[in-house]
Amino acid sequence: MSDPLGLVFGALADPNRREVIGYLSQHGTATATELTGELPMTRQAVSKHLVTLADAGLVEAERQGRETRYRLTEAGGEWDDRLDALRRHFERRRD
Amino acid sequence: MIHREIVLPAPREEVWEALTDPERLEDWFANDVDLDLRPGGGASFRWSNGEERHATVTEVDPERRLAFDWDDEGSVEFTLDDDVDGTRLIVEETSPAWSTALDLQASAFACV
Repeated sequence: MSDPLGLVFGALADPNRREVIGYLSQHGTATATELTGELPMTRQAVSKHLVTLADAGLVEAERQGRETRYRLTEAGGEWDDRLDALRRHFERRRD
Repeated sequence: MIHREIVLPAPREEVWEALTDPERLEDWFANDVDLDLRPGGGASFRWSNGEERHATVTEVDPERRLAFDWDDEGSVEFTLDDDVDGTRLIVEETSPAWSTALDLQASAFACV
């Protein structure tokens, strides 16, 4: 999609999706089941909102065993990997 | 803005080398690196998965600060500081896309 900001504002325009974001912001992560239990929405609606939020890059899914947990996207994950690699680079040089 | 800090068990001089010597960069940052280390100089990074990114160096203050602008989007700043355990490396990356989407998200929902 060539209009990432359009996706973001479209995703944020819906009050139910803002509820989902608000919940994730407070609790860190949640499964679709947990969100369904906590918010006044059907499981189907929660799943649909999570897809829209993920498409906009606002939410990311992470599989943990059998369940999928959702969290707000945090920029900078690639730097965690790069700096880990840099730390290992220095460990190799010390050996 | 992305902000990361790491303390490396080496003097600033050596950390600077790891950030600026293409051969050393190829051991942790990318698979193939070209770097013209001067303000305005070009940098190319290629990864084994076929990804390729280009940047322009904007600031070179040996053993202190290195900054570059990605040609596609965003800029990166490395700052080196002495630390009792070696060198503290601070990485800051800014991107217009995050400043609109993710910073907005962070500020809007911090108070929910």
